[in-house]
Amino acid sequence: MRYGLIALIPFGIVLAIFAILKFEHPPIDSTQLGFRGTGIVQVDNPRTEAALAKLNQPPESYGPTEPGGPLASEVYENVRVLGHLTEDEFLSYMASITEWVSPEQGCGYCHNEENLAEEGLYTKTVSRRMMQMTQTINADWGAHVGGAGVNCYTCHRGQNVPAYYFVEDDLQPEAGGFSASRNNQNFAADENVYSSLPYDALDKQLTQDDVLIRVQSDNALPYFGEDLVPIQDAETTYSLMMSMSQGLGVNCTYCHNTRAFSNWEQSHPARLVAWHGIEMAQHLNAEYLAPLASELPEHRLGPKGDAPKAKCATCHQGIPKPMYGADMVSDHPKALTQRAE
Amino acid sequence: MIEYQNIFTRTQIHGPPDMGGGAAPEAAGVWPRGDNAYSSSLLGRIGDAQIGPFWLGGWGVAAIATGVAWFVIVGLNMLASVNWDVIEFIRQLFWLSLDPPAPKYGLSFPPMAEGGWFLVASTFLLISVICWWIRLYTRAVDLGMGTHIAWAFASAIWLFLVLGLIRPLLMGSWSEAVPYGIFSHLDWTAAFSIRYGNLFYNPFHMLSIVFLYGSALLFAMHGATILAVSRFGGEREIEQIVDRGTASERAALFWRWTMGFNATMESIHRWAWWFAVLVTLTGGIGILLTGTVVDNWYLWGVKHGIAPPYPDASTLGDPGMGGN
Amino acid sequence: MAMLDFEKKYRVRGGTLLGGDLFDFWVGPFYVGFFGVVGAFFTILGTVLIIYGAAIGPTWNLWQINIAPPDLSYGLALAPMAEGGLWQIITICAIGSFGCWALREVEISRKLGMGLHVPFAFSVAIFAYVSLVVIRPVLMGAWGHGFPYGIMSHLDWVSNVGYQYLHFHYNPAHMIAVSFFFTTSLALALHGALVLSATNPGKGKAVKTAEHENAFFRDAIGYSIGPLGIHRLGLFLALAAVFFSAVCIVISGPFWTAGWPEWWTWWLDLPVWGKGYELG
Repeated sequence: MRYGLIALIPFGIVLAIFAILKFEHPPIDSTQLGFRGTGIVQVDNPRTEAALAKLNQPPESYGPTEPGGPLASEVYENVRVLGHLTEDEFLSYMASITEWVSPEQGCGYCHNEENLAEEGLYTKTVSRRMMQMTQTINADWGAHVGGAGVNCYTCHRGQNVPAYYFVEDDLQPEAGGFSASRNNQNFAADENVYSSLPYDALDKQLTQDDVLIRVQSDNALPYFGEDLVPIQDAETTYSLMMSMSQGLGVNCTYCHNTRAFSNWEQSHPARLVAWHGIEMAQHLNAEYLAPLASELPEHRLGPKGDAPKAKCATCHQGIPKPMYGADMVSDHPKALTQRAE
Repeated sequence: MIEYQNIFTRTQIHGPPDMGGGAAPEAAGVWPRGDNAYSSSLLGRIGDAQIGPFWLGGWGVAAIATGVAWFVIVGLNMLASVNWDVIEFIRQLFWLSLDPPAPKYGLSFPPMAEGGWFLVASTFLLISVICWWIRLYTRAVDLGMGTHIAWAFASAIWLFLVLGLIRPLLMGSWSEAVPYGIFSHLDWTAAFSIRYGNLFYNPFHMLSIVFLYGSALLFAMHGATILAVSRFGGEREIEQIVDRGTASERAALFWRWTMGFNATMESIHRWAWWFAVLVTLTGGIGILLTGTVVDNWYLWGVKHGIAPPYPDASTLGDPGMGGN
Repeated sequence: MAMLDFEKKYRVRGGTLLGGDLFDFWVGPFYVGFFGVVGAFFTILGTVLIIYGAAIGPTWNLWQINIAPPDLSYGLALAPMAEGGLWQIITICAIGSFGCWALREVEISRKLGMGLHVPFAFSVAIFAYVSLVVIRPVLMGAWGHGFPYGIMSHLDWVSNVGYQYLHFHYNPAHMIAVSFFFTTSLALALHGALVLSATNPGKGKAVKTAEHENAFFRDAIGYSIGPLGIHRLGLFLALAAVFFSAVCIVISGPFWTAGWPEWWTWWLDLPVWGKGYELG
């Protein structure tokens, strides 16, 4: 017995080393966002922040195109969503897209290089839809993206597929039968930020318009006769909020005074921007991204056959404002913010 | 100086084990008291070196059998949730859970895979806990002692019943019960606080924590005092209670001189009992009131004027209600 | 002030650490001593400053009174009185007062010929307080990381600081601390109840003995730690609860800035699981 315990000591030491190595160390940065002593403070590791700063630089700007010249719709065939651009604007935008999304494959990633107007590649259909989505974001969602706006690079960062997205998970198989179901939780996933909370919060709350994610009552006492808002709903919202926090590299107090999560009067103004962000993500996923499942080839789909969808990290990639709020639209104002007639 | 502080027992005398015969010859039943005991000098450095004899009796057998049933049901369902992969079971153990039924089932009995096992396991646990209570109660009676331990345990059972039975019944749904899992019960606790608008504003939660911290404070004070007067035989508390000696007197005067007030050798144990018992008693009340008669504790606190104002309240309004 | 009937013979001179015979006297039931005088100074000054802080604040409502630490922008410097300076001086007074209390306990222990377990135990509590208002703020570079002095405001601080790490229950030291707290309460209930049940067996019955206590616990769980051991165990559990509480807050911020659930990925990523399943 005693020797058995002694034999466990080296294992314990090795485990402790792994656990301790996981920790960070001072100095750390902190930013106060609320009244002193309320603990409404962002806590960051400056080493991590420096690494993030390198990763989140906007693409090189070539400046806006000279105005004038014929419209792209007059010069080229089959220009469906960018016909309102001049030829110069059109070519400049196309060149930028290549740099933002398919720098390695070039134009051929979406076009038949023998006949650029030809349909056929799924990537062309998807790109067109994504251009429309970008126009919608910049035109309709100023409440979230502000003056900075977005372009393809905001999410793509020179990759064909953005680094961060979500699909319905098909995690480890369960025994099934009459054994207890895992209920889409109790598994450390990226979506629940490695907690035991539900990992389908994004699927439930970020894929349709106007999903109600609120769980707190606006009244001290219960309204009798109302439907129960179960604790499980609070767990789902909690999971979504943790995913948001991680995507933005902030903590809960970036928006909330956690003594009263639902209370707007005590919330930081960032909460309003975030609220529009949730609405926007719901809309974009429902309107633009989820329907692409029928266009995308199988290897671009999730294990359950749904299209990749946007979450906060898709654009934010670990920082509160994508590219630290750099202007993303001025080089291509018409292409990015105006829809074709 | 450290030489003279009572930290470990440095000299041990190992005689024949005390088989309890003098105190309680009647420990019979389904599993009668064993007739051998062991001795561990490692344990003897801290406390009594003797391990055993063991006794279960009828209620003990029932409590352990049903307790094991609960444990095995929870464990096997966790193992099934990783598809019987033992390595993954160990790896993910803290994340795994046996969850209560979904809210849609209300108080009905759900399919086994969707909460049925949870209810079955909970039933076993409830029986186990009650059998253990009876065992403690009857043992105390048979030994001719008071039943204080059983009633203290009853206070813990009260909290357990509120969480797993009474509150779910009042709320009309088994889904309100606490899941069986390391991280999952912590998730439940956090989500419960969020859902009901911040448990810190629940006055019974405040009381429960006061008694919890108070228990630690009391045990540190009492344990340290007794160890400090152990050179005068202070740990022989029963003797000190019925026939006060210098250990008792010094212990009392220590606190009288320190804070102007002292307990007696007996009354300190009443303080102890009440503090510990009130942790779960008030905690249970706090849980019971949550959702049933209070829906948002922060707003309840505002209503009763306890929420401090902070000067930098923003001017945001609810965008979902047309604000901003 | 009447003494207890046995008290007079214990009131002897000596045992002081400082001040010799100068402060070696009693006021009513209280022993004074050098640390009683210095401690009273800190206590009175601190209390007066708290009352002053309440007076210049917006409310006399006991629940709402809040004496907050300075803004983070003051770093580790002194702040103006009304903007956290009060908090800083009150903190100094509190540490001075607690320290004097512990040293006064040492003097009383010496006077009574007792071990020093009580002042040692109290110094663990002081350590926990100091880690909240000194060690962690210094590690994070600003006094503003201390907790505010107020009944509800300190709870608001606990809430917000907890949610700085998304889900504080996943903090491993917090888990250990809470477990120790609950275990302390369990052990206290068992110990208190056991002594009461031996000495209060019911009307007309003889008081029981330590052998009965042993028999009860050996029958109940197969082991009785004994009358000396239970006090060691209780003291250990209580101090461990306090110690790990201090650890759990000191590591939050200085040694971990992300969500606590994420910390646990070291376990999931151990290089021993074979193929393992991908996270998410």
